[in-house]
Amino acid sequence: MSTTIAPPAPPAGRKRSVARKRVAKASHVGFVAALPFLAPALAAYLVFVIGPMVESVRLSFFEWSGFQGAPQEFVGLKNYVRIFTQDPVFWTALGNTVIWVILSLVIPVALGLVLALALNRPLFGRNAFRSLFYIPGVLAPIAIANMWRWMYNPNFGVGVTLAEMFNAPWLAEIQWLGDRNLALYSIFAAFVWQIAGTNMVLFLAGLQSVATEHVEAAKLDGANAWQVFRNVTLPALRPVTVVVVVLTIINSIKVFDLIVGMTGGGPAQSTQVLALWSFTQSFGNHEYGMGNAIATVLLVITLIIVVPYMVWTARQEKHS
Amino acid sequence: MRAGLRPAAFVAGAVMIAGLTGCSGGGSDSGKTEVTWFKLTETASTANDTINGVIENFEEANPDIDIVVEERSTDAHKDALRTTLGTNGAPDIFFSWAGPGLGGEFIEAGASLNLEEYYDEYGWAERFSETTMATVTQYGGYDGVPYTQRGEALFYNKDLFAQAGVDAVPTTYDELVAAAEKLKAAGITPIQFGGTVNWHVMRLLDSILEAKCGADGYQALVTKEASWAEEPCVTETFTEFGKWTSDYLNPGFISINNDESSALFFSGEAAMALEGDWFNQSVRDNGMDESTVGIFPFPTGTNRLYGFNENNYITSNSDHADEAAKFLDYLTSEEAQQELIAAFGSQSVNINVKPEGGSELDAAWGPIFENAEGVYMNNDQNLSLAETTEYWRVQNLVATGELDPANAGAEFQKFIDQQ
Repeated sequence: MSTTIAPPAPPAGRKRSVARKRVAKASHVGFVAALPFLAPALAAYLVFVIGPMVESVRLSFFEWSGFQGAPQEFVGLKNYVRIFTQDPVFWTALGNTVIWVILSLVIPVALGLVLALALNRPLFGRNAFRSLFYIPGVLAPIAIANMWRWMYNPNFGVGVTLAEMFNAPWLAEIQWLGDRNLALYSIFAAFVWQIAGTNMVLFLAGLQSVATEHVEAAKLDGANAWQVFRNVTLPALRPVTVVVVVLTIINSIKVFDLIVGMTGGGPAQSTQVLALWSFTQSFGNHEYGMGNAIATVLLVITLIIVVPYMVWTARQEKHS
Repeated sequence: MRAGLRPAAFVAGAVMIAGLTGCSGGGSDSGKTEVTWFKLTETASTANDTINGVIENFEEANPDIDIVVEERSTDAHKDALRTTLGTNGAPDIFFSWAGPGLGGEFIEAGASLNLEEYYDEYGWAERFSETTMATVTQYGGYDGVPYTQRGEALFYNKDLFAQAGVDAVPTTYDELVAAAEKLKAAGITPIQFGGTVNWHVMRLLDSILEAKCGADGYQALVTKEASWAEEPCVTETFTEFGKWTSDYLNPGFISINNDESSALFFSGEAAMALEGDWFNQSVRDNGMDESTVGIFPFPTGTNRLYGFNENNYITSNSDHADEAAKFLDYLTSEEAQQELIAAFGSQSVNINVKPEGGSELDAAWGPIFENAEGVYMNNDQNLSLAETTEYWRVQNLVATGELDPANAGAEFQKFIDQQ
């Protein structure tokens, strides 16, 4: 006769604590094991990304002409006070950046999704259309700027040609890049042309992960096309939508080349954006402190928008 | 045997290392000393060819030196200087406008080598006029070697003037406005400008400022001895400028650049262009009949000529200052200058070189320079870089009708006061 004595079961709280310790230990061991593999990329990231960012923030508290050997004078928050209260262009640039981000989140994202949905169906010449819409995305922005600048040319641009074609002289009189109230949106049209195809490709990739069984099951349950899209396709596209939204925000906040190439920020700085104004202050006016203060503001805005959005979407993913 | 190979391997290694070090430190693969020169791309292709010919002549006479030219358009050149000077990427020689606003910032930042020893060695002080030497010594040392002395005036299409009934060249500002009015009435664009490069339209604003404020008033404003907010002539200037931009400039000027707008002059669509003496060659290169083009100074009433100087500077961290000085000595020599002014149709900085054998258009600059009683300089050379950026913003606000000319002076002065 043998008696088996089972060890007393540990209390539930202790159990969780032990499990957490095990996980923590395993994570620690995993991190240490991964460190040699991470180190090169981490070092490059620290040197080429974090380092310049820290240096940029540091320089925003100094007055400096940007020349090697020229003295850097610590001025505290003076550069920030100047950009917020005295700089005649900063608020225009900030306003334009905000407008650009909002428009970018609406128009090219929606257009990219619509194109992806359309070109995800069996269609004659589907691949040719996909390539056609994607091509602007691989062109250099400065080349796109040059092309659109010629299209908007007030003497022999598209407006002039259309005016002659349709006998509508008012078309020739539109100053696409010369009208302060229109210029930013004229440049934005070129941006949409450039970026919509890239969004389309990302959404197309996402659409491949939508299970056809789910779509068919929804249809069998009597769902109409909108209901299928709203309740099946769109939730399945959430991961790729996060990527598209984050990339769009980042691309639109740092927009630079198109504006330099098409208006240079003019007329009268009416198409300035923060990235270009930061560059102009640093390299054009030799006000490195001001330029870096604007860059720091841009960095803070980016973090304020992007980080909470990514955290929120990560939580949504976890819950689902 | 292995021991016997060691010395040979050592010698071979030493030879290789010596060979490699010989190729570094600014020398070229051919063992020549490379002297890099950052300069502007000339607007006229023939002027470029002439400069390349001058460089070839120098290299033939100095086979141990290679002149490596990096050319850029105006704004790209400014960007290149701002990003490379003071760093290892700086050239040995850089071209720059000599005014305190543009070139001055580079000198003050210590980017230019004091060339006093080379001025003594080559006797350069006797080669240049007092005016051009003043641009060299204005910062207390000897910065740069004069390259060009530029004058700017109104180029006009004689046929279009005749077509509009403008019988005589305007000699006063009011006559100029009357001529513009006649041209406009005849359906001709009176004058062309490209607004995306702000310095192009600035020429018109500067010249009206000289006309309305006079020579002393102009100098007082650009040196900040007078307030832009308080001088009535500033308001008159911006009011006139606003009238020109709304009535007499090519439509849509604000959204095209100077090259695009110049095409309107070459094609006979615009009657006037406010350009410098370098434009003679552009007129020829773009196929205009030279005999249909005339030049007259902007009638400011002060007899000062609109213009500026351009110098070549040796960088303070150049490893080849001696070779660079040798090249600049040749570039400003009588032999090289005679070739250069033939292509530029301009005045030489070398006082011993006079224009010879040029066309009627080239010859027209002679009396303009001779009759000038001083120079009023482009304001992007007078003002600091930040002030220039603001000056252009105010200029363009008035040009696009977004700012009342009566408030323009005060708007600019506010910025100056905050600096």
